[in-house]
Amino acid sequence: METATYATSVLHQDAVERKPFYHYRPGTIAVSLAAPGCSFRCDYCVNFRISQFGRDGAAVWTAKEVDPWAVVERARKLNGCVALSYTEPSLAIELTHDLARVGRAVGVEVIWKTNGFLTPAAVESAAQALAAVNIDVKTVNRRAHRRLTGGDVRPVLDAIEGFRDRDVWVEVSTPMIPGLFDAREIAEAIAEIDPAIPWHLLRYTPAYRMNQLAPTAPQEIADAVAVGRAVGLKYVYVERALGAEGRSTCCPRCRGLLIERGVWSTRENRLDSGRCPYCGCEIEGRW
Amino acid sequence: MIPAGARIAAARSKDGGDVTEYRFVENLPDLIHPEEYAKHPEGKLVRLRISVTPQGVEVLGDAFRPEVLEKILSSLQPEQIEQMLCG
Repeated sequence: METATYATSVLHQDAVERKPFYHYRPGTIAVSLAAPGCSFRCDYCVNFRISQFGRDGAAVWTAKEVDPWAVVERARKLNGCVALSYTEPSLAIELTHDLARVGRAVGVEVIWKTNGFLTPAAVESAAQALAAVNIDVKTVNRRAHRRLTGGDVRPVLDAIEGFRDRDVWVEVSTPMIPGLFDAREIAEAIAEIDPAIPWHLLRYTPAYRMNQLAPTAPQEIADAVAVGRAVGLKYVYVERALGAEGRSTCCPRCRGLLIERGVWSTRENRLDSGRCPYCGCEIEGRW
Repeated sequence: MIPAGARIAAARSKDGGDVTEYRFVENLPDLIHPEEYAKHPEGKLVRLRISVTPQGVEVLGDAFRPEVLEKILSSLQPEQIEQMLCG
């Protein structure tokens, strides 16, 4: 017997930057899997045709059983990793563990893009299998978070801390949902855990059931970046709206340009053994 | 991650069957670029490219609002709509 989510609807090869991970093995190809389903019910979800299986009739079960050996072998040939993404990977914990067990023998790591809505026991379990996680923090207002997702935000923040404490590399993403997004509140919550956690700001676009509001203006995104930095976050990123500058990693000490990125790729990585080549500052990440 | 939001869908002409199949694909080309975001604060821009291919007529779309693009493509009753996923 196995869980239905020991399966995937996709078998994609993406740049790890697209998940997004900017401080985990830049330029790595992620063999990406996703079984239908999510523990949240966000009204803005672009992926609702796969994530909202069980809630929305438009989402149908299209997944097929995964052979962990075949997936890991595919990733190994690419010198890549395996990513569980697009839907909620914590629903596929058994698959995650098997991929990690098979991958460990050949140097293939497993990463998650997750909503972070996990119990401490689930974090403990998943941390044994994962090299990196990107966790969505949509808001830190408990009532608003529950209204949007159906779940409390406290476990999400605890998961960030829990994974970080267990040496899993953590990055955070925030969709800038109008009326919900408060840059200062979220940046402060992340900085309180660790100011070196990279923060990715995702431009809101009207989607699914939240389709009446306007997309986030570029100036609003730039303002949020400034707030994140003012609060003390060392690394704040925007994938598209602010151009190449929004995607670049600069040294938090000397501001030297360290990593230049295209939209979904790394163009140049100037790090020297994880350090700034200009001033020697250690840059947090898994390089 | 697809912060451009609506992003892209492609439809191929229908040659039978009643239900449009949605396929999740790794990549589709951009028709809207970040420099254009500020010019369309309400996100009402939709851009389409229609091509004749050996497989049939292909309509590639990009928009800030996925549901608008989906309505346009669905109205063509395509056999298949391809879309990218976020993440």
